[in-house]
Amino acid sequence: MPELLKVEHLKKYFKTPRGMLHAVDDVSFSVDTGTTLGVVGESGCGKSTLGRVVIKLLEPTAGTITFEGEDITKMKSSYELHSRMQMIFQDPYASLDPRMSVSEIIAEPLKIHKLCKSREELDERIRELMDTVGLAERFATSYPHELDGGRRQRIGIARALALKPKFIVCDEPVSALDVSIQAQILNLMQDLQERDGYTYMFITHDLSVVKHISNEILVMYLGQAVEKSGSDELFDRPLHPYTKALLAAIPEPVVKKDRHRELLKGEIVSPIAPKPGCRFAARCPYATEQCHSVNPELQEISPGHFVSCHRVKEIN
Amino acid sequence: MSNNENLLSIRDLTIHYFTDDGVVKAVNGINLDIARGETLGLVGETGAGKTTTALGIMRLIPDPPGKIVGGEVIFDGTDLIKESEKKMRHHRGFDFSMIFQDPMTSLNPVLTVGDQIAEVIRLHDKVSRAEANKKAADMLELVGIPAERINEYPHQFSGGMKQRVVIAIALACNPQLIIADEPTTALDVTIQAQVLALMSELREKFGTAMLLITHDLGVVAEICDKVAIMYAGQILEYGTLEDIYNNVCHPYTKGLFGSLPSLNSRVKRLSPISGLMPDPANLPEGCPFHPRCPQKCEKCTVKEPPNVEVTPGHFVRCHLFDNGKEG
Amino acid sequence: MKTGTAKKQKKRSQASETWKRLRKNRLAVVGLVILALIFLLAIFADVIAPYPYDQQDYSSTFQTPSAQHLFGTDNFGRDILSRVIYGARISLQIGFISLLGGAFVGCVLGAIAGYFGGAVDTIIMRFNDILMAIPRIVLAISIASALGPGLTNAMIAVAISSIPNFARVVRASTLTIKDQEYVEAAHCIGANNFHIIKRHVFPNVLAPIIVQATLGIGTAIILAASLSFLGLGVTPPDPEWGSMLSEARTYMRDYPYMVIFPGLAIMVTVLALNLFGDGLRDALDPKLKK
Repeated sequence: MPELLKVEHLKKYFKTPRGMLHAVDDVSFSVDTGTTLGVVGESGCGKSTLGRVVIKLLEPTAGTITFEGEDITKMKSSYELHSRMQMIFQDPYASLDPRMSVSEIIAEPLKIHKLCKSREELDERIRELMDTVGLAERFATSYPHELDGGRRQRIGIARALALKPKFIVCDEPVSALDVSIQAQILNLMQDLQERDGYTYMFITHDLSVVKHISNEILVMYLGQAVEKSGSDELFDRPLHPYTKALLAAIPEPVVKKDRHRELLKGEIVSPIAPKPGCRFAARCPYATEQCHSVNPELQEISPGHFVSCHRVKEIN
Repeated sequence: MSNNENLLSIRDLTIHYFTDDGVVKAVNGINLDIARGETLGLVGETGAGKTTTALGIMRLIPDPPGKIVGGEVIFDGTDLIKESEKKMRHHRGFDFSMIFQDPMTSLNPVLTVGDQIAEVIRLHDKVSRAEANKKAADMLELVGIPAERINEYPHQFSGGMKQRVVIAIALACNPQLIIADEPTTALDVTIQAQVLALMSELREKFGTAMLLITHDLGVVAEICDKVAIMYAGQILEYGTLEDIYNNVCHPYTKGLFGSLPSLNSRVKRLSPISGLMPDPANLPEGCPFHPRCPQKCEKCTVKEPPNVEVTPGHFVRCHLFDNGKEG
Repeated sequence: MKTGTAKKQKKRSQASETWKRLRKNRLAVVGLVILALIFLLAIFADVIAPYPYDQQDYSSTFQTPSAQHLFGTDNFGRDILSRVIYGARISLQIGFISLLGGAFVGCVLGAIAGYFGGAVDTIIMRFNDILMAIPRIVLAISIASALGPGLTNAMIAVAISSIPNFARVVRASTLTIKDQEYVEAAHCIGANNFHIIKRHVFPNVLAPIIVQATLGIGTAIILAASLSFLGLGVTPPDPEWGSMLSEARTYMRDYPYMVIFPGLAIMVTVLALNLFGDGLRDALDPKLKK
């Protein structure tokens, strides 16, 4: 499949009073057309920042982003880019303007990009988009606060689809929703992908969701990619100690005799002015002298399976 | 169900909110039992009435607009609904305490964590300040925080650490029952695993009973003995962990499990419950779940289903199991 | 068109929601009714007032209130009731026009400062701080005396002195709104800054602006009256409430009704505006009250 997006050595630092915050630190990956890349990690790992840099809501500190063969970091205006690249946001309550009705929200991108010539065409397109995301027409004049989380998230999706983008960054689109509604939205997103061939970058902290929806998965820890591989491969054969710990920590909805398991010690450290060496070394049960001083590079262990760990061969 | 060994028995508890837009029927006649040292998981989606149930047990329903309309909450032999406010204040924190969802807002930012733990101890025990502080330090050690941090303020702790402090406060007077309202929802998975492990460890150590309110079936499987599935203010299915997880009966519970993406197998599509949670101010006739139920029949739309005991201790509120018992 | 009319209905229903809450607040309704009466008086002054406001009658000066002159007459024999009624016209005019002008400039400055931040914010807000450091009445007096007396100049003075409050309120609200995800979403669909301020920031800061404005009109009326009282505002014989007080000042000891009625008029108007403004604030943001 052709490559749609290629990110190389992307960095995003923020200035803070206590030093440079390394939100995204040298991350590289690529996404093929029509597939889903899952980006998973805990809060503070930089996954949301990564999504916002990719879609140019934030300017990168360094690195290149190649989208459809063109380096978008060099673009002056992102106006045209946003008709090819869209975003779905996490919070279905905060991401919709409370003073605008459903049809006004969906119409906004169409108006800004002057895609409809007449009022009739605009109304027709709004109806079509609402139908696509499964919103009944009678909600066109409702305001977001009158609707539940699931319907609100459908509005957000309709707004993202309005410009017919190729690539959609989804920032935790289902984490604010109840499980039954979450499943409805996940199914909708999969149906849309099958029908229209959208490419997703799906950012989440929920491993079971990411496994369900992704073809490829990128695991992030403190601004760096620690492991990257196909979805099934990652869950069957996790190589990085952090990925293993993350998988072990998921509470599974099945009754188990033995409830004991290996726990990861400590908590995520500050991403401000990080020390040299592997970011995970402080919590890693296998850390050695080398891990604390030298930053490991992402290396290909088996075809398509990348890990950044000095001791990957010894511990697996 | 015998009442003698139960620490907490809830009978027909009904809580309504009387608002300008009508009566919101948050909790509609629920029955629950928690034995000493047992953990009951109360599972449901947003708006099911889980938190209202917890606040009802603590008698902390904001009134107005909320009111406990009927029912009994028997704790250790006394009906809490009939207790005086003064006695309730003594019960809270001493006999049972609560752990809230958000550790960021349930701690007072201008008091040190030590002071906050000592405060609970001094409210219920007549001990000197020094003794209370000593006990507070012990409590911190117990939840895995070095006692040296006793004079630090909440903002100096991370989210997981704050939740440990909240647990220390809840356990400070060695209560018999802890009500935990989504205690790990705001935490990352690795931290959640740590906190859950701590909670089950402490529960075994002190024999504390627990009512765990959550929407996460995974968390329930992790630490609960019994499970109650709540929907629109009713308990639709109730039984031991094995009953619920290995012998799912109610269509709603089936739907909940079907909505979860699995880690072990690869399903192409999820099978969610269609439709939405009903508006508690305007509940449907008959079974509250019937508008979303894939197996509904004529009867469901008119008659409220009875509570059927399918196997001993496993209750289902559904017409599907009604016949089996009669026939 | 079908969608068009449906949309209008919905819009009205949002306003009606506010109206419903406002109606429950008895004091606010009282304020609103009084305001409406004062407005009617101002609009129909020509019909209602028993005498022209400048009709002098030297045969009946300093008359105490009577059936002929309900509020009595002044030193020129002019009917005080008629002057108070015509005064409502001028006072409301000053209050509303100057406040709208001040609010507009203040909102634009505040929104720009809050939205763009950085150096723009610093420059605008430091200038704002300077204006706020000067007591409002002193600021208005200096502007009015620099421009010279007169209705228009008084309005300009009052308008300028009301800018800082609006700028501050709008900047604070803008700061919270610009971090909302829906503003990010607007960037994402290619909206430019002007569009975002106009379409997303302003409608969402409207509630605090309306409240600030209702409460501000009262202050503006008092300020304008003070200017007239000092001889910097409306010039005689125009019947502005403040200038009536000023003229009556000399005779206050012997004929107190000459100050009582214009004074009451100011008080009642401002009180009504404040009651209504408070009620409106609660109605627009029901969360605030609880």
